[in-house]
Amino acid sequence: MSSAVHHPPARYNRLFIDRLGYWFFLSSESLLFLGLLGSRFYLQGTQRPEALSQELGLLITTILLISSLTAYRAETAIRHGDQRVFLRNVLATLALGAVFLAGVAYEWSQAFVHFPPQTGFGTVFFSMTGMHAFHVLSGLFLLLILYRNGRRGKYSMENHWAPEAIVKYWHFVDVVWVFFYPALYLV
Amino acid sequence: MEGHGQGKAKALRLGVTVLIVLAVLTAVEFAVSAALNPALPYLALIALGKAYLILRFFMHLGQLWDERERAP
Repeated sequence: MSSAVHHPPARYNRLFIDRLGYWFFLSSESLLFLGLLGSRFYLQGTQRPEALSQELGLLITTILLISSLTAYRAETAIRHGDQRVFLRNVLATLALGAVFLAGVAYEWSQAFVHFPPQTGFGTVFFSMTGMHAFHVLSGLFLLLILYRNGRRGKYSMENHWAPEAIVKYWHFVDVVWVFFYPALYLV
Repeated sequence: MEGHGQGKAKALRLGVTVLIVLAVLTAVEFAVSAALNPALPYLALIALGKAYLILRFFMHLGQLWDERERAP
């Protein structure tokens, strides 16, 4: 009797399974942000303090949107094997992400004066922007790793899952802000 | 058949187009919040539209349903 193990033929490729798992991860992350978004309206309704700068909100939103384009360009470049454009756009995304965080830090310095964390809106504002900024920060850390590995030539047309995953994460952070921005600054 | 460089140029142009639409929608959001009261339903709709654009074009959500992307 043969002891050989019979493996059924693969139905999906490895990259597809990686992507599917990653989307599950992003979906679970989105539940956390959905909870925060819901708590904003549950605790504060549609109230917003006058001291919250709508102009600054618009500015940092624009910066984050532009960083999504540079991230997209980086991914597109490495899919086509263009190392130079890939590295340039990863660097641009890093810079824009850092500017976004600096904007949030400035907003926090103002918020501590006008609506500190112990106030109703302060609780909502610091929770939402804090959790989001933490994700931006972790995204920047991942982009730094991507840049370092990219410079060492670790990614190519055939091997681009890591850039794709990190860029997807960056876009996810952008999608979260798409909902947080109007909820905090515009309603 | 589409060339390699041509495909890349097309993808890069698509990114710029999506960003322009996102920027326009953000400006509309800003204007709506100033002009309408209550603005929440309109802002929610615009935010959903923006999220769709990012998911569809930047995050390539459609890859999950594409048979060519699944094949072993």
